[in-house]
Amino acid sequence: MLLALLISNSVGNILVERYHGVPTEERLHWRSFLVKLGTDNLKGAKNEELFVASHKSVYIVYTVLGDVSVYVVGKDEYDELALAEVIFVITSTIKDVCTKPPTERLFLDKYGKICLCLDEIVWTGILENTDKDRIKRLIRLKPPAEF
Amino acid sequence: MAQPLVKKDDDRDDEAEYSPFLGIEKGAVLQEARVFNDPQLDPRRCSQVITKLLYLLNQGESFTKVEATEVFFAVTKLFQSRDIGLRRMVYLMIKELSPSADEVIIVTSSLMKDMNSKTDMYRANAIRVLCRITDGTLLTQIERYLKQAIVDKNPVVASAALVSGIHLLQTNPEIVKRWSNEVQEAVQSRAALVQFHALALLHQIRQNDRLAVSKLVTSLTRGTVRSPLAQCLLIRYTSQVIRESGSTQTGDRPFYDFLEGCLRHKAEMVIFEAARAITELNGVTSRELTPAITVLQLFLSSSKPVLRFAAVRTLNKVAMTHPMAVTNCNIDMESLISDQNRSIATLAITTLLKTGNESSVDRLMKQITNFMSDIADEFKIVVVEAIRSLCLKFPLKYRSLMNFLSNILREEGGFEYKKAIVDSIVILIRDIPDAKESGLLHLCEFIEDCEFTYLSTQILHFLGIEGPKTSDPSKYIRYIYNRVHLENATVRASAVSTLAKFGALVDSLKPRIFVLLRRCLFDSDDEVRDRATLYINTLGGDGSVVETDKDVKDFLFGSLDLPLVNLETSLKTYEPSEEPFDINSVPKEVKSQPLAEKKAPGKKPTGLGAPPAAPVSTVDAYEKLLSSIPEFANFGKLFKSSAPVELTEAETEYSVNAVKHIFDSNVVFQYNCTNTIPDQLLENVTVIVDSSEAEEFSEVLSKPVRSLPYDTPGQTFVAFEKPEGVPAVGKFSNMLKFIVKEVDPTTGETEDDGVEDEYQLEDLEVVAADYMLKVGVSNFRNAWESMGDDFERVDEYGLGPRESLAEAVSAVINLLGMQPCEGTEAVPNNSRSHTCLLSGVYIGNVRVLARISFGVDGPKDVAMKLAVRSEDEGVSDAIHEIVASG
Repeated sequence: MLLALLISNSVGNILVERYHGVPTEERLHWRSFLVKLGTDNLKGAKNEELFVASHKSVYIVYTVLGDVSVYVVGKDEYDELALAEVIFVITSTIKDVCTKPPTERLFLDKYGKICLCLDEIVWTGILENTDKDRIKRLIRLKPPAEF
Repeated sequence: MAQPLVKKDDDRDDEAEYSPFLGIEKGAVLQEARVFNDPQLDPRRCSQVITKLLYLLNQGESFTKVEATEVFFAVTKLFQSRDIGLRRMVYLMIKELSPSADEVIIVTSSLMKDMNSKTDMYRANAIRVLCRITDGTLLTQIERYLKQAIVDKNPVVASAALVSGIHLLQTNPEIVKRWSNEVQEAVQSRAALVQFHALALLHQIRQNDRLAVSKLVTSLTRGTVRSPLAQCLLIRYTSQVIRESGSTQTGDRPFYDFLEGCLRHKAEMVIFEAARAITELNGVTSRELTPAITVLQLFLSSSKPVLRFAAVRTLNKVAMTHPMAVTNCNIDMESLISDQNRSIATLAITTLLKTGNESSVDRLMKQITNFMSDIADEFKIVVVEAIRSLCLKFPLKYRSLMNFLSNILREEGGFEYKKAIVDSIVILIRDIPDAKESGLLHLCEFIEDCEFTYLSTQILHFLGIEGPKTSDPSKYIRYIYNRVHLENATVRASAVSTLAKFGALVDSLKPRIFVLLRRCLFDSDDEVRDRATLYINTLGGDGSVVETDKDVKDFLFGSLDLPLVNLETSLKTYEPSEEPFDINSVPKEVKSQPLAEKKAPGKKPTGLGAPPAAPVSTVDAYEKLLSSIPEFANFGKLFKSSAPVELTEAETEYSVNAVKHIFDSNVVFQYNCTNTIPDQLLENVTVIVDSSEAEEFSEVLSKPVRSLPYDTPGQTFVAFEKPEGVPAVGKFSNMLKFIVKEVDPTTGETEDDGVEDEYQLEDLEVVAADYMLKVGVSNFRNAWESMGDDFERVDEYGLGPRESLAEAVSAVINLLGMQPCEGTEAVPNNSRSHTCLLSGVYIGNVRVLARISFGVDGPKDVAMKLAVRSEDEGVSDAIHEIVASG
């Protein structure tokens, strides 16, 4: 299960936050935990350089892309390698939508589109689509190219 | 007021870095949402408003019920628009709003229409939205469409239906389970992601049907799986099948070839999954491990941190059970100590600590010292625990390891971290006699400047036990007495008790301790004064050098001999009255676990890491239980208690198991009986034991249970005498005898008259292994050398044809009941010879070591050479006799 997907700006303000299977009362805790993890480790990191951590049976993979930090949290079959796959889809899609690693402004300009992309990538805690070109078509309600 | 959302060109980015949502405010956006009701919809404007709503929701803003309903109704109007981009937004918005059951009806017809639309993408999205907001009743209406969608040619439609299925399985399992055939078909899909989703759903549907899962795995491992993600799932399900098949048969493990083949897959994800699955196989052999370790070793030097992390994490687990298998990776692991990712570095360090040899300890410690300063407490705790195990493994290295622990104890750190260090030092002091004095001094120095009351009191208590036994107890007094001056009341009280212990145990110190205790009489705290008064008045001798009475010592510092739980219950039920609380009224019998808790499900093992809980507490509990029964008081010290042996089948009327307690010249059988019939009360329950097949035993007493109500376990005992120190063996047949009385289930009243009845139990055997305690040694070779060959006995035995070498080794280990050392109980597959090292303590507290070399002669004939060393000639012979007669 993909428990959480969180995108924040460089100072830790939340831009996108989605949870699945995380009780409401624990969400705040996760948010501050992830943001702290980012502030502790992401300073000076290269774009899309992956960071990884585990906490009990839960895995966390996170990275930085332009001005935004992306965090994904998973457990069971979504271990560190599966999460790396998920975060790769997310970052490549964001880059595609924004045409480059986004500034915060650019990210917010494309906010609606990014939300649609995320909706295609992760749904109810399950990775649904992994190909950025297909996602690009899907958010315009176009069938996948190979079909 | 919200800023207008304008489309900007990318090259204008750096012009203004303000947020397009700057100053966004919920009320205003809700106002804007009125555009959804316009007769002439402006799709662009509507999309912008939805984006703002999404932004608000993602910021954690919540809508009131009225607001949400209003927005939801307005959004449903947008179904009229033909604009594709807007429609996509609408789908997302409805999912985010998750309308309540009574509102859902508004959109169902629109969504149902979309679900049957000719445009595939409408169908996919409508399925996802419907499944998100639907309940059971609606689901039955759309089930037909969903089943079709699962096998739809368009992969997006199929995936949407499958993922919805996974989601719906939680709430409506009976409906989703009906889709098995379609899902099964989808598993064969050519589209990679469809296969992935279908496999996940099919497994969830069938997860409780072992045969079905096994069939699924068998067919898929032969076929082709397109997506690496699906392949990972398949590997997971395969290991589940292997685990559940409990493969004890010899020869190659089923599916091992499949796992091994996956190590050569092109996707790293699959390679890793397979490697991890192999390392987690039950009883994995070195031959099976090798290819997995090799790929993990390659991952250690990968440029991708995620791969390095995954590999080092897995190797760390392997090192707990198969340290030798991981040593090849040590060089790669050492370079990871400087990894930027602290998780990776910590895992590398702790793995190295597990796999390193004695000569590398000092070098490692140097590296760790540099590393400790820049990691967080939780990582430090892991390192401290690893160092503790290392020290127990290489006791000769205690000096450098103890120094390391004392150094980090002085540095900054939180409670959990400090507690881990203190616990480690305490364990090392207990287990390594040479480390005692230096360890105690380190602890003394620590309490001079310790901010944690809990740790100070723990250390003071420990000092009271260990300090008086050292060569110069007086040197600890200063540290302890300083506490009385400088600390809070809890620590002061604790220090007073510790001082008194020194006074009681070291006669020469008594006069000086009395002087100190008298000073405590003026303390500002009641408890401190009370303790000081009590000790001054009871220790005796008024400060002169006299021995303290044994009774006084027992009274002050002896154990309560009561289960604390029982004492707590009795104190809670005690009502203040004229009559003082009588500690003798507290029952001494240890309550067994109630029936419900006993049926612990032995489900999935938690990987390699979880060691079984130490049995120490049960032994203590047995000792206390037996000592509370006066009839057994003269049996002396309990040598060993066996694990419970079941004497009844599961789910019979009466459940009985037996524990064998071995004393020097007695054996006591403890029968734990449970009455599982609610409307019966058993009275005068005893076990009639026939010992005609155990010649050397004679029954001396039988202690019945007076009353055995439903579901409350009770214990009856039968004691035997046997020749002193002789490991007598024999077989005992058992018959449960009791009086049954009917209980009225409604009133709970018991009838007066009962009927005598009997119930046949299984036989119980006392075997040679019952006289052997499993006590391991950390370094077998050292122990063997230092034992010397004075009482060494060597002989050879033929074991005849055996199923396998491993089976023969395990049979001999069980026969002797000794502790296998250094992992020598594991026999590599297909090996023709094996050496097993065993250690134990034989009755009479005689240490025994055995070195057994097995060899396979001919097709299946196993022969062995047994060399035994012990502190007693007779015992060495006895071990040979056990083997000869076994």
